Amino acid sequence: MAVLSTPKSAVQLASKGRPLKEHLFRIALLSSLAIALIFLGMLLIYTLEEGWGRLNPMLWENMPSIRRPETAGIQSGIFGTLWIISLTALMALPTGILAAIYLEEYADRGRWYNKIIELNISNLAAVPSIVYGILGLGIIARWLQFGFTVMTGAITISLLVLPIVIISAREAIRAVPPSIREGSLALGATQWQTIWRQVLPASIPGIATGSILALSRAIGEAAPFLMLGAATLVRFNPEGVWSSFTVLPLQIYNFISQSREEFHVLAAAAIVVLLAILLVMNSVAIWLRNRYQKRW
Amino acid sequence: MSQPNVTIRGPEVPNTPGSLDPVFTVEDLSVFYGDYEAVRNVDMMIGRREITAMIGPSGCGKSTVLRCFNRMNDLIPGAHIKGKILYHDENLYGDHVDPIEVRRRIGMVFQKPNPFPKSIYENVAYGPKVNGIKRNMDTVVEEALTKAALWDEVKDKLKQNALSLSGGQQQRLCIARAIAVKPEVILMDEPCSALDPIATTKIEDLMQELRQEYTILIVTHNMQQAARVSDRTAFFTAEVDDAGVRHGRLVEFDQTTRIFTKPSDKRTEDYITGRFG
Repeated sequence: MAVLSTPKSAVQLASKGRPLKEHLFRIALLSSLAIALIFLGMLLIYTLEEGWGRLNPMLWENMPSIRRPETAGIQSGIFGTLWIISLTALMALPTGILAAIYLEEYADRGRWYNKIIELNISNLAAVPSIVYGILGLGIIARWLQFGFTVMTGAITISLLVLPIVIISAREAIRAVPPSIREGSLALGATQWQTIWRQVLPASIPGIATGSILALSRAIGEAAPFLMLGAATLVRFNPEGVWSSFTVLPLQIYNFISQSREEFHVLAAAAIVVLLAILLVMNSVAIWLRNRYQKRW
Repeated sequence: MSQPNVTIRGPEVPNTPGSLDPVFTVEDLSVFYGDYEAVRNVDMMIGRREITAMIGPSGCGKSTVLRCFNRMNDLIPGAHIKGKILYHDENLYGDHVDPIEVRRRIGMVFQKPNPFPKSIYENVAYGPKVNGIKRNMDTVVEEALTKAALWDEVKDKLKQNALSLSGGQQQRLCIARAIAVKPEVILMDEPCSALDPIATTKIEDLMQELRQEYTILIVTHNMQQAARVSDRTAFFTAEVDDAGVRHGRLVEFDQTTRIFTKPSDKRTEDYITGRFG
């Protein structure tokens, strides 16, 4: 039998045209992404444009002033922020990582107290930062009489980032396959040896990434410091942990509260500096993740 | 009965039951996960420098029993045993026994190759290191890799990441890693199930070499493999009791030749002839 026309295939592979729904869904996804990016771009352009005139070395060479906006800088804010973040890292990271190791490797999840701990760490991560400010003021500054010092600020911020550090460290530790732990234990390694020599090295990139992101969140905090009754105008750099200080967000807040227009320009320039510090930290986090990412 | 079409190892072990030189004596062993009795009343003996295979359908408890021999089940919350496993003369589950010490003497190779994400050298050196051995590490590593028939393939790339090896090489590395601690026994939990036939053959040949020096227990899904490599075979199956609960049971334990030619239990015969499982 001669087949003259194109035979009709049993399987229908011809395109029927993508359904409208599929297109609409793609558009919805792309526009959500676009909204986020457009706002970020606008923020950056606006701040850069506003602060451009004051993005000169005077900004980080000079101390703040409320009388001479044309020469005022933010050096004490930059140093204050660096002090706070370093001290916070020293306190919050070891504590957070050890807590995460306990919860992931030692805690029996069936026990009621471990369940309560887990639940409350998630709750703590959601507590507004100003509440930590009240805690710092009431307990650390007043009751422990640490006053408004770098130490008080750092302890408060440590408490603020601790739940985030714990949660991200737990995720990183959980991502290490159980077969690695079994392999190590089956060779006669103790649990501590297994954690110290296998689990931690394998999860360090994830822990580092999470920690940096947690710290960069802390850098932008102003609320807890306001609550602590911080001085917004500090004309010297911190000399130690018992020194008083200011941080960049507070400095920015102070400049914006001034009525003269030059201070608003100064504030915008300070925001650019703050954003630059944040970007550097986040880039380090991404670099770490890509550099040391493990593939199993 | 119809003969299964497989090669069976010759009768290399003596026929008389009394001639078995036991490394382990399992007495009335039951394994529990919480309240659930996963395996019930197992009695068997593991002979020195023999290969003992544990076969049976899925869920018959053979891996569970294997993991009792180096107390890996201790890591599962709620797991415990009744009965005894004597290692030479000592009860493995005695009060004063340290599971860490047990695992130093009784090594284990897992179903899926699980090398550490470190260099080949570091993988082999890890066991001796955690056991406090520091000197002559190069010799220890070379010796273990040689015994695991991997040295020639990796001697020029000891610093390379172990994950860059093929699956079969990774599994032999895991064997080398276990050997490096100088254990007396090596437990193997379906060591070839993730490997291709050529890699499987290499591991099976390796087992024959290792048999000169080590006592080997292997859990396998593959009956032909049990027939090819083992001296004795334990056949497990799952049984449902009166309350409707499934338990793993040891049906028959004998020389491999007998299990595969004239099994004494009907269930064994059905399984090895492929009528069941």
